Amino acid sequence: MNLQRRELLVEPPATAAPDIAFILIVFFLVCASVQPDTGRPQDIPRSEETPQKEDQSQNIELSLTEKTLLLNGELLPFEKLEARLSQLLAGKESESDRVVIVKSAAETTYQRWIATTMAIESVGGIVTIQMEQEEVNVVE
Amino acid sequence: MRIPRKKFAADVPSTAMGDIAFLLLIFFVILARAVDDSHLQWEPAQVEEVEPSGAALASVVIDADQKLYLNGKTTTMDALPGQLEALLGDTEPGKRRVFLKADRETPASLFQPAIEAISMSGGDLLHVLNREDEPVTSTPSP
Repeated sequence: MNLQRRELLVEPPATAAPDIAFILIVFFLVCASVQPDTGRPQDIPRSEETPQKEDQSQNIELSLTEKTLLLNGELLPFEKLEARLSQLLAGKESESDRVVIVKSAAETTYQRWIATTMAIESVGGIVTIQMEQEEVNVVE
Repeated sequence: MRIPRKKFAADVPSTAMGDIAFLLLIFFVILARAVDDSHLQWEPAQVEEVEPSGAALASVVIDADQKLYLNGKTTTMDALPGQLEALLGDTEPGKRRVFLKADRETPASLFQPAIEAISMSGGDLLHVLNREDEPVTSTPSP
């Protein structure tokens, strides 16, 4: 006569599984929410206010494409932008004199634009954006 | 002879509690993700110096696919100024912060109108960027 062997329960204890899942989710949520954003502010006046339009011809003009950079018509490497701008802005005290009009080609990337405008601001220039068929916006 | 009365268990069934908690948590996580913009894919531009950006009333995102979002919801460039004005309301100057989270490859034809829209609504623009030595991540915000 064959005696049947009693089968032992070999399943892992599942009682604590929901608790473990809960703790894991809380852990990942906390990890995801502790990374703060970083950035740079830019003050932009409302666009309908475009003071001193008659002086715009005297402002520094910077034409930006993805590959080239023209400062008042002069082709410059990006590395020399700050030095050349410092020369042009030397002795200019009023805000209107320190305006730099940035004309960007449509394909200019945000990375290049940010790097350029940060360079302008670092030497005391006030960035203005000139868009095609649009008014000029003053950006400080 | 006294016959003892059979006692019935009156415990609250706790077997399903864990599962219910788990489902509730998933529900709230999905709900929270629908409100913010952390699900959007974009690579921030990198600059030498950045500062902590704090909180903002609105967040404008241009993602890697050049799509425009306001607070995580798709929008159009034409509608953006009005929507921003509604969000900012009568908030006093200095507290009208608007994040601009543009993918580093976004062309000027897209991000300049977004800056214009923030300007028109009277928002205080803050570019969300990474420091140059930080690794580039596709979704920087939580």
